[in-house]
Amino acid sequence: MTICAGIDAGSRAIKVVLVDAGTGDILGSGAQDQGVNQAMLARDLLDRLLDEVGGNGKSVSRIVATGYGRNLVRFADSTVTEITCHARGVRRLVPDAATIIEIGGQDSKLIRLNDKGAVRDFAMNDRCAAGTGRFLEVVATRLEVELDALGQLAAQSTEPAAISSMCVVFAETEIVGLLASGIAREDIVSGVQASIAKRVVAMAGRNVDEPVLFTGGVAMVPGMAAALEAALDHPVTIAPDPQITGALGAAILATQQ
Amino acid sequence: MASAISDIVGRLEETCRDPLATARALARDGRKVAAHMCTYTPEELVLAAGYVPIRILGWSAETHRADGLIQAYACSLARSALDLALSGQLDFAELMLFPHTCDTIQNLTDIWQRNVPSMKTIAVSTPVSTGGEAEVVFYRAELERVRGILGKLDAPVTDEALKACLALYAAHRAAMRRLYGIRRANPCALSARGMMSIVLSSFLMPKDDHLAVVEELIAALEAAEIPENGSRPRLFVAGAACSSEAYVAAVEEAGAWIADDNLCTGARAFALQETGCGDPIEELARTYLSRVPCPAKHRPGFDPGAALLEDAQRAKADGVVFLFTKFCDPWAFDYPRMRDALEAAGIPSLLIEIEQHVPPSAQFETRVAAFVEMIDTKEESE
Repeated sequence: MTICAGIDAGSRAIKVVLVDAGTGDILGSGAQDQGVNQAMLARDLLDRLLDEVGGNGKSVSRIVATGYGRNLVRFADSTVTEITCHARGVRRLVPDAATIIEIGGQDSKLIRLNDKGAVRDFAMNDRCAAGTGRFLEVVATRLEVELDALGQLAAQSTEPAAISSMCVVFAETEIVGLLASGIAREDIVSGVQASIAKRVVAMAGRNVDEPVLFTGGVAMVPGMAAALEAALDHPVTIAPDPQITGALGAAILATQQ
Repeated sequence: MASAISDIVGRLEETCRDPLATARALARDGRKVAAHMCTYTPEELVLAAGYVPIRILGWSAETHRADGLIQAYACSLARSALDLALSGQLDFAELMLFPHTCDTIQNLTDIWQRNVPSMKTIAVSTPVSTGGEAEVVFYRAELERVRGILGKLDAPVTDEALKACLALYAAHRAAMRRLYGIRRANPCALSARGMMSIVLSSFLMPKDDHLAVVEELIAALEAAEIPENGSRPRLFVAGAACSSEAYVAAVEEAGAWIADDNLCTGARAFALQETGCGDPIEELARTYLSRVPCPAKHRPGFDPGAALLEDAQRAKADGVVFLFTKFCDPWAFDYPRMRDALEAAGIPSLLIEIEQHVPPSAQFETRVAAFVEMIDTKEESE
């Protein structure tokens, strides 16, 4: 068996996907928290997954790295940006996707695809962390809840709070003020999710082609897809296994290089 | 021959490594130095008055001194340049000239005058509209006024001195345009970093010295056989100023060639047409007003979208990268027309805002690399 690997070294997590070099079928995938020594963490995760699928280093014919830490994964054969990789990964999973919203730990992207699934246009947040997963982490810490519990909390909201700050640091200050004035935690969480969604929608402009696919680690946070749908006024589908879409795209590209 | 080319370009890259070193050395040797903020500064007049003109860009990595005097939403070019002066790094320059281009630069004149007393500031009222004879009359009178101010500082500026400077600058611009033509024909001939160093060093060195180097470089390039590498997309870079080579170098390192640009620290600086009229002040006025108007200027009937499209098509560009300085309103106003013109012609574009004094970020590199990949894989599918 010859294997191709895609490694997505994101700001918050490292994701690895293994595919069959010949057929492109997914053989295995995994993710783990990011750390200081990205190359070592990526190698460990790759080896673990290879072990699981009964392979080893010699069965890997090609590795493509993506994500903000892609250049640090020096054992990779080549690097491709996460924009191209997410497009490839989504094309495999949902061939008719027209728009991808990807929200990761430190940035968010809106990617438009052509009818062949290639990138037609893209936008990235370039202001600050206000439209990213980092905002959710800051809020979860401040509200003393687990990241996973944010969606459940938001679902209980009856009157979402308005978060108007464009900057995460100022938004956190704003949240402190909301807490002090007795606003319920669920209303704050719901307000934060709506705020993140609006930042992302601002990149989309007026025209969004359907179907809209939601990928990236933040797609796993309950409530975010609903917040995006409300802000975008279009149905939003969470990609299957949204965290690994970039790594999957990288692995597919590895089979084609 | 390739090593001769890299030797010459390497010398100019060295000049840019410490952008103010050349001017400091000139001042130490007793030359008078005049600094300025914009390509609309009539350098010929400054040189004819006995000053070596040098252009100041955003070379101060810190802006905290300037931040106390200018609002944070003024562009980094203004804040960084003012910080250079406030930290004493421009003490070698006796004069500071401000042509009226955008509002920020115009208002910087007063701030500079109050806060940098070691330099004499001169505001040059460049017409906002550059299309007609009335503007020539106005600008001619303004240049006479500036000539008078400069003449009182030392000796009067003679017609002969001015004519000699006009000829020198015309020759320098022609040489730079020729260099741009060589790169347009084969972008592998000069790297983006190299080309930007050549342009930036032209703002930092005496023009006659720079012209000699550029002529030497053109001879070396014309004698060399540089193979074309057609496998990379050809990009056109549009925007105002770039204070360092880092941004264009990062664009090229993403896997593209830069075939041409319209930067004001680029081709725009040399896109002037001499008229050859006998009167040197009128010639100066007409030459500067002939420039393809930057977004801070207005020419009736001029369409920035059509002009950019023509430039991009001439460069056979596969894509256009807009490098905008954050908070630069004039470029932001013109951007939609430029983007739409490119889009209608099927040329993809990418807009990135930069801070002049901050090196390219990882996100900058990702966006440019994704843009290059997008152009490369336009027709591909799984």
